[in-house]
Amino acid sequence: MSASLAPECNETKERYDNCFLKWYSEKYIRGTATNDECEPLFKQYKTCLSKALKERGIDQMLEDARADNKENDAEYMKLSAR
Amino acid sequence: MVRFYSTDYTYAYPFPAVSLAYFLRYPNPYSRHVASTDTISRAFDPATQRLTTVRLHVKRSRLPPAVVKLLPKSTFTGGGGDGKSTQSFILERSVVDARQGWMECESWNLDWDNVLSVIEKHTYTRPAALSSTAGGVEADRTDVSVSVTLKSRIGEQLRKRRQRWGEQATASSVSGSSNGEEESVAKPGWFSSWSSGAIRSAIESISLQRTEKSQPKAQKGMSVVLSRLRNGGIQEVLEGMRKDRELEI
Repeated sequence: MSASLAPECNETKERYDNCFLKWYSEKYIRGTATNDECEPLFKQYKTCLSKALKERGIDQMLEDARADNKENDAEYMKLSAR
Repeated sequence: MVRFYSTDYTYAYPFPAVSLAYFLRYPNPYSRHVASTDTISRAFDPATQRLTTVRLHVKRSRLPPAVVKLLPKSTFTGGGGDGKSTQSFILERSVVDARQGWMECESWNLDWDNVLSVIEKHTYTRPAALSSTAGGVEADRTDVSVSVTLKSRIGEQLRKRRQRWGEQATASSVSGSSNGEEESVAKPGWFSSWSSGAIRSAIESISLQRTEKSQPKAQKGMSVVLSRLRNGGIQEVLEGMRKDRELEI
């Protein structure tokens, strides 16, 4: 499995990744998924990752990227509405 | 100026395998530069059956050495102190539509974007003739369309403040916030020998050449993952990753 940027999150990441790969290949891609079964595991992984991103100062970079994206999306919507 | 690269090809594997391989593509023997991959968010919409994923990749030496040579040393203050370490954060957003048989992926670099911004788009589609027979026989091929847009903005940062996140991300290695100011004072002298337009153009050309080399490698990496997937499913892919990692050590 690919490593997490935060080694302390590797364990929860691997549990989530395994769940996702199984769900994706056995349910999602076959069109039989009704919900994201791996969400509880994702929350555990996300808790660890969010903390790690914050500690490393990467969270702000991600937020800015999202804000830029929203601006671009808004710009695009304006253009296509013309 | 903006440089543009595009290519179309086909994988001899069905769409479900290719879309799964996309999520499983790192690490592979051709991805030594990828240090980590994390899922930032994932959303499944049961109504449309679309799956949206945002991931963050950390890649090493994203900037080609020839580009590094063109940059002032002060550019590397955030890179870990040795002046040469160039790790880069890449954000990737993908949407899969399993029903209609397509996957659209877009990725771009979050840092170094003042030096070079790289936007990469990949589209994977189930061949058109079979799109209507969802749930029926799967085509054994998937069409791929790739485009890469390269744009350098170096020199532009002279006119604006150093980007907010940059100060944030290097806060631990920099005491106080005066660093950004010092840099912008230091740069004009360096720029006097080359016009920033010439540097931008050189950076874009060098990066385009590198894209032309790296894209076939990315394709090979996906092929390795796809072949492992066909031979022994996800387990074989995971086993392959472990072996690749041992070889690296």
